[in-house]
Amino acid sequence: MQQRRTLDQPYTNRVLLNGQLDTPRWWAPAVAILGIAVIIGLLVIGAMINKGLGVTGLGRPVYWGLFITTFVFWVGISHAGIMISAILRLTQAEWRRPVTRAAELLTVFSLLTALVFPLIHAGRPWRIAYWILPYDFARGIYPNIRSPLIMDPVAIGTYLTGSTMFLYVALLPDLGNLRDRTTGWKNSLYTVLALGWRGNPRQWKMQTVGGILLSALMLPIFVSVHSIVSWDFAVVPSVEGWHSTIFAPYFVIGAVHSGVSAVVTMMALMRWLWKWDDFIRPEHFDALARLLIVVATGWLGFTFLELIFALYGQDAPEIALREMQMFQWPWNMLFIIFFLTAYAIPVPLWLFKRVRTNIAMMFWTSILVNVGMWLERFLIIVPGLARRTPFVYTWEAYRPSPVEWTIFVWSFCWVTFLMLLFSRFFPLVPLFEQKESQVFTQDVAIGRAKVPAIVREAD
Amino acid sequence: MTTASFGSHNWGMVVDVDKCIGCQACVIACQAENNIPLNTQDRVERARTISWIRVERYWEGDFPDTKARFIPIMCQHCENAPCEPVCPVFATYHNAEGLNVQVYNRCVGTRYCANGCPYIVRFFNYWEPVWPESLRNHLNPDVTVRSRGIMEKCSFCVHRIRRATRTARSEGREIADGEIQTACTSACPTSALNFGNFNDPNSKVSKMREDQRHYTLLDQFGTDPNVIYLAKVDPDKKVSVGEAASHG
Amino acid sequence: MKLNRREFLALTGKTAAGAVIFAACGLPERELIVQSPVDLPEDLVRGEDAWYATTMGDFTTGDGVLVRVMQGRAKKIEGNPDHPVNRGKATARYDSVLQLLYHPDRIKEPMLRYSKAGNLVGVSWDQAESRFRNALAGSSGALTVVTNPLRGHLGSVAGRFAQKFNGKHMTFDPTEQGVLHCAVKSVLGQDQLPTFDIANARTVLSFGADWLGTWGSPAQFGVKYGEFRGGSRGYLIHAEPRMSLTSAAADLWLAPKPGTEGDLALGIASVIVNEGLVDGSNVQAFLSAVPGGLRNYDVRDVAVRTGVPFNRIQNAARHFADHTPSVAFGGGSAGAHTNGSFNLGAIYALNLLVGSVGSAGGVTPNPGSGIDGVPASATGASFQSWEEELAQWRAGNVETVIIRGADIVHGMPNTVAIREALEHVPNVIAFGAVIDDTLDVADLVLPELTFLESWGSDIPEPGPGYQVVGIQQPVVGPTVSQDESGLISDARGFGDILMKMADGTIGSTMEQMVRRAISDLHSSGRGSVSASTPALFTKGVLQRGGWWNTGTKGARGVTGRISNEATSANYSETASLGEGDDFHLVPFHSNSLLDGRLAASPWAQQSPDPISSASWSTWAEINSKEAEELGIKEGDVLLVRSTSGEIEALAYPHPGVRPGVIGVPIGQGHHAAGRWAEDRGANVLSILTNEKDSQTGALAWAATRVRVQRAGRRVKVPKFEGNVEARPVEPGFPVLVVGPNETAEAAKEANHHEYQKSLFNDDYGSVDHE
Ligand SMILES: Nc1nc2c(c(=O)[nH]1)N[C@H]1C(S)=C(S)[C@@H](COP(=O)(O)OP(=O)(O)OC[C@H]3O[C@@H](n4cnc5c(=O)[nH]c(N)nc54)[C@H](O)[C@@H]3O)O[C@H]1N2
Ligand SMILES: Nc1nc2c(c(=O)[nH]1)N[C@H]1C(S)=C(S)[C@@H](COP(=O)(O)OP(=O)(O)OC[C@H]3O[C@@H](n4cnc5c(=O)[nH]c(N)nc54)[C@H](O)[C@@H]3O)O[C@H]1N2
Ligand code: SF4
Ligand code: SF4
Ligand code: SF4
Ligand code: SF4
Repeated sequence: MQQRRTLDQPYTNRVLLNGQLDTPRWWAPAVAILGIAVIIGLLVIGAMINKGLGVTGLGRPVYWGLFITTFVFWVGISHAGIMISAILRLTQAEWRRPVTRAAELLTVFSLLTALVFPLIHAGRPWRIAYWILPYDFARGIYPNIRSPLIMDPVAIGTYLTGSTMFLYVALLPDLGNLRDRTTGWKNSLYTVLALGWRGNPRQWKMQTVGGILLSALMLPIFVSVHSIVSWDFAVVPSVEGWHSTIFAPYFVIGAVHSGVSAVVTMMALMRWLWKWDDFIRPEHFDALARLLIVVATGWLGFTFLELIFALYGQDAPEIALREMQMFQWPWNMLFIIFFLTAYAIPVPLWLFKRVRTNIAMMFWTSILVNVGMWLERFLIIVPGLARRTPFVYTWEAYRPSPVEWTIFVWSFCWVTFLMLLFSRFFPLVPLFEQKESQVFTQDVAIGRAKVPAIVREAD
Repeated sequence: MTTASFGSHNWGMVVDVDKCIGCQACVIACQAENNIPLNTQDRVERARTISWIRVERYWEGDFPDTKARFIPIMCQHCENAPCEPVCPVFATYHNAEGLNVQVYNRCVGTRYCANGCPYIVRFFNYWEPVWPESLRNHLNPDVTVRSRGIMEKCSFCVHRIRRATRTARSEGREIADGEIQTACTSACPTSALNFGNFNDPNSKVSKMREDQRHYTLLDQFGTDPNVIYLAKVDPDKKVSVGEAASHG
Repeated sequence: MKLNRREFLALTGKTAAGAVIFAACGLPERELIVQSPVDLPEDLVRGEDAWYATTMGDFTTGDGVLVRVMQGRAKKIEGNPDHPVNRGKATARYDSVLQLLYHPDRIKEPMLRYSKAGNLVGVSWDQAESRFRNALAGSSGALTVVTNPLRGHLGSVAGRFAQKFNGKHMTFDPTEQGVLHCAVKSVLGQDQLPTFDIANARTVLSFGADWLGTWGSPAQFGVKYGEFRGGSRGYLIHAEPRMSLTSAAADLWLAPKPGTEGDLALGIASVIVNEGLVDGSNVQAFLSAVPGGLRNYDVRDVAVRTGVPFNRIQNAARHFADHTPSVAFGGGSAGAHTNGSFNLGAIYALNLLVGSVGSAGGVTPNPGSGIDGVPASATGASFQSWEEELAQWRAGNVETVIIRGADIVHGMPNTVAIREALEHVPNVIAFGAVIDDTLDVADLVLPELTFLESWGSDIPEPGPGYQVVGIQQPVVGPTVSQDESGLISDARGFGDILMKMADGTIGSTMEQMVRRAISDLHSSGRGSVSASTPALFTKGVLQRGGWWNTGTKGARGVTGRISNEATSANYSETASLGEGDDFHLVPFHSNSLLDGRLAASPWAQQSPDPISSASWSTWAEINSKEAEELGIKEGDVLLVRSTSGEIEALAYPHPGVRPGVIGVPIGQGHHAAGRWAEDRGANVLSILTNEKDSQTGALAWAATRVRVQRAGRRVKVPKFEGNVEARPVEPGFPVLVVGPNETAEAAKEANHHEYQKSLFNDDYGSVDHE
């Protein structure tokens, strides 16, 4: 275990606020480039809405493709926030502290992005109000609450609201801090946003209780959001590979796998970009990788169960679908990449501590996981539709169009763009949490080495 | 075979597969009747054609024992339709006469219902339908021209049902059996397609579906279709009586 | 307040709120939705419609239709339930005609070409008529009127017009039926087509003609076929080298080598005679019509010559002889050979063998026309007479050619160089609604009314066995009216213009002619319509779409002898054709475009071919096993080459073609045919060679041999079928097949067992181990 230097408060302030008070030189060009990409993406979306979904590669019977896949993917990524800030907070895992804010932020932004996809994939996005709002009282026409497509926006809306509040409550002390260190319009902005934060004991108490309450409230969301997303598929009896009984937990654990991996990716980037080596340390990566080994292996169990179910039940259409997924070109190629990237490469590597504490290795392996997890969703959604149905006559394959790929890429640029924009005005690492942990930290002797230990204050 | 009865009518179709010759008369009749957009070559190549009724052709055997089997397939108007509960806006729902109805105005175009329908009879308008101005002269004013971005499918020619109902009501009588012909049943030269009221035990379709050849498509899904098929007859088929019984 | 569960349910069950909650939690939607008090689209019914009866003009052989008209616009064409021919039923072609009526490329006004090298420019009708008169002025004795085979009044007008100018009336049908009429005459003693009483037959044995798809009167035959399949289900045997709709519907499909259909028919006859399956008197009648007898038709030799397995011929023969009444007929490709007359003669003679001439369930002769001077039967002039005619054109002996309804430029093989022949004719005057290849090279183009806008009559052929006169009336006004799209067309009727050019010597207008004919029918005092006054009678006839008289039946003439000029077929040669594999070319009518006369309609273009499901293109059907051996895959662009030329077609391998045969649909490959058809696909008619039937001189359009080569490109075939071969994934789905008297339930059960066995080998259920 490496030694680390003792951090004092001024140092913490200076380094962690470097994004706001002392913007790094790469920031402006990066935001500009991403901004251009975002604008191009928005133009393509606009053109698609203007011309019609004919510009996609969709047809009959593959009615859903890249958009829905990417929707599920971003909802999955959003589980980063719940996992890190709610679960780990409630279980008092101290190593979570430097990454809570970024994880929550990723949640909010990926949810915002995820929501875009069902909207633009609809044939008439401008009628979207009809979709979720009870709109026609006069005729007694309500949205159909039996449709998972109604439960989806409700669940995601709840999640988004909760996460935003959570993010904001946790931001308050840091906003006060920034207000005290800025002048001019920035000062005015932070003054308003800080809601009169003075850091008095009553405010601290309310802020802490609020955080814990929100964590607890969001726990059910942890289970519900991706379960509900899974029902988009699980309730459809006729699409082979969709109507699986294990989808709800399978999707949830898959989401945790991809969400936590995304946090790892982000932590590595933060450490490199803002030089926060003192705050985001190899131990954090180590801890996350251990968590991921468990999550990924659990997830793998579900993946295998799907095969077992098909084989044990000797359900011919289901077996035919799995056969297609695993052995028929081009699905087999995707399947192999999926299996290697989502599990077979990263997880065995993480068994080695050298890998777990190597930032670059963790960065690349976590990227691999999300490549794999995106493919996993694709392989769940599309082959089921593109399979050889009993109505062989209408069997056609699907190839995403350039428009779909552009919008797919846009979503990544868009999330990164928002994160960078946020980092310019708000600290990505919560200062107060960091300082809180410093107060709790002391070194303990294990053998001859002095290692950092985390203890709680005695109650 | 249970069919819930909602009112005095439960419309349905009996398709005698043994009589279908695959001639496509039903398909074109439906295209013309229901203002279905032109299926241009591009739409054919990209599997985006719209064809509320289609005739599928399956091969069996090899030369010289080749058999080509035709079957017309349209919306089965399932009593227990998988397309209905998934629609977030009730753009597709069951009406009181056994029809699965599509309300174009409400549809937002999620295509969820199309994934739910195991019969692949729901069609999405990927593009705005276009007719050269002069061809608009033959559009049927009884049927809405759908815009892009929405779902459509066989309606059992609901406008014809409405028209006949209105006429019968104004004349103070019941709708007679056979009075309503959908565009496809009317065209079908061999009378493979038959339309009528299943609630009337004396109607032609009610009697036809008592035939021992009756079956429904994909009954494993429990959709309870209002389209009943009568099996194709092959006089030279070897029927091994009792073979099934010898198993197990 | 404390409630137990039961009380709670009872309470909520009684309240509206409860109703909503429970509805929301899973009761069917219909209880949740309050139906719209205002219009839902499903409720909309707008306007009043009218249905007018008329006949289908050039697009069928006399079907009666009802046209739905709203606000002066035709909306839909359906069968006329009163009409004895198609009895309310339709074909896939009916509605497509609406798109010719409202075609955006309809010829709007007369067009004139000032010199052969010039362009067509719009002119007024006055100018057009004076050009027409000028052309007629110098053409006495040097005029030819070219039309499609026309029955009814238009046919008589065209004939009399030609007569008046001492000219000729030549009919043109690219797949002419002259051989058919000749063969029918040899057996029935009259060349008008008889009725095939399919509905009452127990066995139907047909050859070559795709009578359920495109041959003759498919709507009529379809109705009869429906009846044939009902009740005590009849047995259908069909012989054709390439699977058509009829072959697909057949219980037994025989796929003889092209040109051996006569052999096959006599092979069947020889089985029947040798096994003594019919009365001796029938055998006598048969043998007296068949010169040469059955000596050379031992079934084993026939099996070798025709390529049809011995036991199949035997089965067919036994069915045909044992399950009577039975009927045999043929046409189409079976007659389109150098021995076509022999083939068809032998086929029709089979009826003598089973005694089905003139009896129920057999062939019954049709009576002649109910109107004096109006033809009841028509067929295309033979290819031989066309060759002679074109020689006259080339020699400069023909001043004026008037063309209507016959796309000779598209329809004739390259060998006759029709374009070049037309260049020698000073005045080529062509009528039409939408441009086609012939109109495109004419000197004067005259926009013609469609049958939906004009008067006429038609005597259906084949008729129902008694006298029928179909009346054609305008169901919409001439489309001179302006609408949002501007002028659709300032068209006039072909008959009316001819009569005007003949200065009233033939008659004044088609309308008057037809009305006069109706009143003549009235004075005959017979038939389906009876009315006290001529006016009421006319009204009745127009309302019913025609007049028919079940009392007047056809009479059988004297049986002659069938042709034995050539009993075996000759084919065109391929030795000089360069690289490739030799195939026998069998052209067939497109199910939607027919011979191309509907090519301009986008509905006809998009309509999937029943067998290949292809549309918008020209494809080549080839046996799938053979294709595999030759390395030909679906979508390969094939160069199909004959001594007469070369076309490109997309390969579509399937198991329903005889190996060695390549089937190519007719109807595409127009240079001009409106926006949807021009330069689309290829014209298979152009590469036919000039082989002729030895007796009638008819074009042997199925006698061409071709050499086929891959062009090295592959494209997606625009077809409805998916991208795997459509064989059922599991047996019995979606088409469940039952044996005689088998229930659907039992068939399903058996299929299920078979399927499970195939999937999981022997461990599903008990299976005997060998
Ligand atoms: N889409 C969808 N999801 C659902 C539900 C739903 O209705 N629809 N219902 C939910 C509910 S209530 C439940 S309880 C769960 C059930 O979820 P699961 O327990 O996953 O239920 P099943 O799919 O019925 O059964 C799982 C597999 O076990 C196999 N099996 C059968 N017998 C045996 C045996 O003796 N030994 C072994 N090893 N395997 C056997 C079957 O072939 C099947 O493939 O699903 C939940 N999820
Ligand atoms: N063949 C076969 N049978 C099985 C099984 C199997 O695998 N195969 N699995 C078994 C198992 S594990 C289970 S759990 C059972 C499940 O069997 P059931 O409990 O019957 O389950 P569902 O049909 O899913 O739901 C019952 C009803 O509850 C309604 N409902 C939904 N939400 C609410 C609500 O909020 N309030 C009220 N009052 N009603 C609501 C639904 O619309 C539905 O009509 O099936 C068992 N039966
Ligand atoms: S496409 Fe239209 S009808 Fe279908 S589920 Fe979506 S909104 Fe409903
Ligand atoms: S056939 Fe398909 S579209 Fe029609 S009611 Fe059934 S599920 Fe719905
Ligand atoms: S019932 Fe009407 S809408 Fe349905 S397939 Fe037939 S013609 Fe089309
Ligand atoms: S019209 Fe009738 S016979 Fe023709 S394809 Fe349709 S169902 Fe079959």
